[in-house]
Amino acid sequence: MKNFDTLIKDLAPKKFGKRGVIWIGFLLIIIIAGIIAYIDQIIKGQVVTNMRDYALWGIYISNFVFFVATSFVGSVTVAILRLTNNTWRTPLVRIAEIIALAAIIMAGITIMIDMARPDRILNLFIHARLQSPITWDVIIIPTYIVISLLLLYFPLLPDFAILKKYFKTKQPKLSKRYGFLSLNWIGSKAQKLLQEKSIKIIAFMIIPVGILLQTIDAWLFSTTYRIGWDSTNFAPYFISGAFVAGVGALVTVIYVVRRFKKLEHYITGSHFDKMGKLLALACLIYLYFNINEYLIPAFTAKKGEAVHLETLFSGSYATLFWFVTIVGLIIPILVLLFKKGRKPLPMFFIGLIVVIGSWWKRFVIVTPTLLHPFLPIQGVPESWHHYFPSLHEWLITVATLAMALLIITLLVRYLPVIPIQRTADEQGLLKIDKNTKS
Amino acid sequence: MRNQLKFRSIFPVVLSMFLLLAGIQNLYAQNAKKNKIRLKADYVKIMDGDAYLDIKVTTKIKKKNVKVANIALTVYNEFEDEKIKLGTSTTDIKGESIFIIKNVDHIKADSTNTYTLKVSFTGNDAYKKASKRISFKDAEIAAKLISKDSLNYISATLIDKSTDSVITGEALVVQVQRLFSPLRIGKEFNNTDENGTIIVPIQEGIPGVDGNLIIEVVLDDSDTYGTLKTLINAPIGIPIVDESSYDQRTMWSPRDKTPIFILIFTNVFIIGIWGVLLYLITNLFKISKSKI
Repeated sequence: MKNFDTLIKDLAPKKFGKRGVIWIGFLLIIIIAGIIAYIDQIIKGQVVTNMRDYALWGIYISNFVFFVATSFVGSVTVAILRLTNNTWRTPLVRIAEIIALAAIIMAGITIMIDMARPDRILNLFIHARLQSPITWDVIIIPTYIVISLLLLYFPLLPDFAILKKYFKTKQPKLSKRYGFLSLNWIGSKAQKLLQEKSIKIIAFMIIPVGILLQTIDAWLFSTTYRIGWDSTNFAPYFISGAFVAGVGALVTVIYVVRRFKKLEHYITGSHFDKMGKLLALACLIYLYFNINEYLIPAFTAKKGEAVHLETLFSGSYATLFWFVTIVGLIIPILVLLFKKGRKPLPMFFIGLIVVIGSWWKRFVIVTPTLLHPFLPIQGVPESWHHYFPSLHEWLITVATLAMALLIITLLVRYLPVIPIQRTADEQGLLKIDKNTKS
Repeated sequence: MRNQLKFRSIFPVVLSMFLLLAGIQNLYAQNAKKNKIRLKADYVKIMDGDAYLDIKVTTKIKKKNVKVANIALTVYNEFEDEKIKLGTSTTDIKGESIFIIKNVDHIKADSTNTYTLKVSFTGNDAYKKASKRISFKDAEIAAKLISKDSLNYISATLIDKSTDSVITGEALVVQVQRLFSPLRIGKEFNNTDENGTIIVPIQEGIPGVDGNLIIEVVLDDSDTYGTLKTLINAPIGIPIVDESSYDQRTMWSPRDKTPIFILIFTNVFIIGIWGVLLYLITNLFKISKSKI
């Protein structure tokens, strides 16, 4: 058992080393390239993309769906584990909250990137049609951003107070900022009561709101009658997919943070084992919904549906479809069934391929359906029958992914990634009110 | 010095080449071939309505008929050696023009009671001059709706106005106006009998707005009389029941016709969730103010 000072020393944010600075520089270069491409897109219009009348939703929308899915990690890992009193969650929840916040912020930004006239964004509110799932999306995303922010912030209050004291002599300026963010936290009974009550409310609230967010995201597609989307299975299919993407992202980020912050004593092999079981469960549920989504239409397919399925199973999207199904879903399940597969390093690679598979899965959901239009247009150019993102689209999309990573990186840099006070409480170390006295 | 000489000799050569080329250009422009245009004009008379010329202008480009817009046309009434200007007209983007004959009574007919009109184009930079002459006699269709033994019929008589006599053996078409193209009723051709009349039964069950049918009797593109058309308003159709959900609150209506349950659910959700969020934010203030 460590003493409290060692605990703070281990968990308090530290300056980045050379590798951290290079990493941030690398992300900034990608982001700047994306911003330049986006400015060009604003000036020239969406003609710079490869989206046309058929593929009118391209990589931006699939990227948006990926971000929304990833943000589900906040509901699953944090809220469910918190409400079910799984104490092993403690060193993982903060990273999950950070990922959820970064992902949902980037989802909001990505949807604006897809708008040809972002200056008209207010019209979405002013002229909102409440029957439209797009309006529901406009309502639910800001709501989820605020909930995710509060879910991250409330548990941080005691930690900010600890950091204020810890940095008081070393970095007074930083100490002042932590002091400001701690909202005069002294660990009083009244404060604790308010904090615990608030966290409980958020934990309860984020589950239905998170499910609603994924459901609305699914309804954006399934209310359109389009082949491949017109499915009553779509909402649970999206929720289970989000479960996979979120937990996959969490495993990957946790491994990297653990390694570079040297947190092996706090995030142990046992945590990875449990996360591995959770990921395996998520993948199995998602596989079940995938079978429902593709097998039943394969039996009952009308002509249009049959053409769509043929494109996925053996046609132009077959490689991608089987990659996301086998590599992104089945192989992770098989590996995670074994204890050795749930060790940190294999888990990192599994998490990584699950995330990559999840990203391409959204591409497979969005694009092939659009290339089989419900009302085909006569005499369209041959190029409209195919879609592959343009350089602008790639630069902008990769920049949004880099932005999400930058948000995560900066939050990991300035926040204690493992809750200090909670860990101290669980380990029976010193009480907060003694430690925060200035 | 040598250079100066060279320049002196080169300059007139260049100048003369320029002038020569310019001359050739002018020559070429003057000799540029003008296209021929083709004029088509039909005389149409609507009973109790307008009489007009339906004019179409086309040209042939690469063996294809192309409609010609912005062609200025003049319409004359030719009578013996006299040429009376009736007015002007210009073709639209479809190469078409409707020239309404305002005062039919002022048009002069020849000794055989035949009217002759000439549509004339004087030519322009792109097209040669052209003209089209059409002749017609004045006639009319007198039509009415009759009911006999609970059955409805259209009775129509074709009359030559110049001689005030009935016209026999001409084919009339009876049709009901529909949204896109008329619905023909009766036989394909209904030839006028010795009384210049046709009688065509109207089948039951034709739908119409408020039960009204607009029935047309048409003499179509006759060599002698042109096109004549009369319209009869017949309240004998099956009233169309408007099944539109336009005024209802549906999922596909505009925003001011949002279904009530959507309005309630969405607003309850927004107020409920954001109410809780505001409460949580006030908790943050309470925490910052709390001292005990």
